[in-house]
Amino acid sequence: MNKSGRDVDDLALESLFDAARADPPQVPEALMARVIADAQTFQPNIARTRWQGWQGWLRAIGGLPALGGLVTATCVGFWLGVAPPEGLPDLAGQVLGQQDSTALETATGLTGFGWDIEETNADG
Amino acid sequence: MANVALTNPRLNNAKSGRACVVRPGSLARIVMHDIQDSADIKQAPDADTALLQRYAQGDPAAARVLSMRLTPRVFGHAIRVLGDAAEAEDVTQEALLRLWRIAPDWRTGEAKITTWLYRVVANLCTDRLRKRVSVPLEDVSEPVDPATSVEDQLQNAARMDALQLALNTLPDRQRQAVVLRHIDGLANPEIAQILEVGVEAVESLTARGKRALTSALAGQKEALGYENEQVG
Repeated sequence: MNKSGRDVDDLALESLFDAARADPPQVPEALMARVIADAQTFQPNIARTRWQGWQGWLRAIGGLPALGGLVTATCVGFWLGVAPPEGLPDLAGQVLGQQDSTALETATGLTGFGWDIEETNADG
Repeated sequence: MANVALTNPRLNNAKSGRACVVRPGSLARIVMHDIQDSADIKQAPDADTALLQRYAQGDPAAARVLSMRLTPRVFGHAIRVLGDAAEAEDVTQEALLRLWRIAPDWRTGEAKITTWLYRVVANLCTDRLRKRVSVPLEDVSEPVDPATSVEDQLQNAARMDALQLALNTLPDRQRQAVVLRHIDGLANPEIAQILEVGVEAVESLTARGKRALTSALAGQKEALGYENEQVG
């Protein structure tokens, strides 16, 4: 084949490629629907996953009433720790055996080791 | 140019009678309005990557836009390489399914999504082509007789059929390279990534493919209407 013949062939082939690019195959509607359905099926739903996690925890502890009781108990415990009522035994100390009892002797007769009392009696 | 369906029955919709014409970017531009704050997507160097990120974050509009952007390219490539609409549909759905699955783990900057997707499609097509037994000649549809194609649309359809038949005669790798280069319009370095060969090998494949196509189409110029009209 001579050069001009090859050129014509090349131009004809390029023309075919141009036509193919300009006229792409039609995508069947059913295929597009299946692809979109797949995309939606496999799409991660981060917001829903987070909400499901929070809901799951709430459900595990017994729902909103249980959450209310938990909050109340936490607040009361905190307040008892900050300002315990008078006469409340130190339960933790009793349990651990670390409670010490100290009786303060306030009798005046024992002041000054008692020597001053004996000297007074001897002089008098 | 009129938008006509391919007349080859094997290239028409095998699984459904209806088809939607999706040109690259057309529907995607329409649906893009569904996405709020889409300026970042329009201006991103790789809009597909930005869309995939939004898809992975749970944006439902991104799922539709990505499907409409990518499906025509994948299906167009698969049908040209496989020459069979039903198989091309299966390959298209499988390739995009892999993309949806990998979306949460997609690492930005490593590869273009289209390059990755073309590679998946090329591998899926190669697997199917290898499994094929040789197609009996009588099963290959003949192009419409150009003598009866008096309308431009029919003439164009006949040309597309002739091109597809000529493509079907090429070895698998040559066919993939020619379709990627001359119909999908990709650059040789990207084709090299997709086919996992060197750029020189791509140049060789496309050159040999074009020569083989020219030979396959030799003698059909008059029938295809290239003798009597100005080419180009």
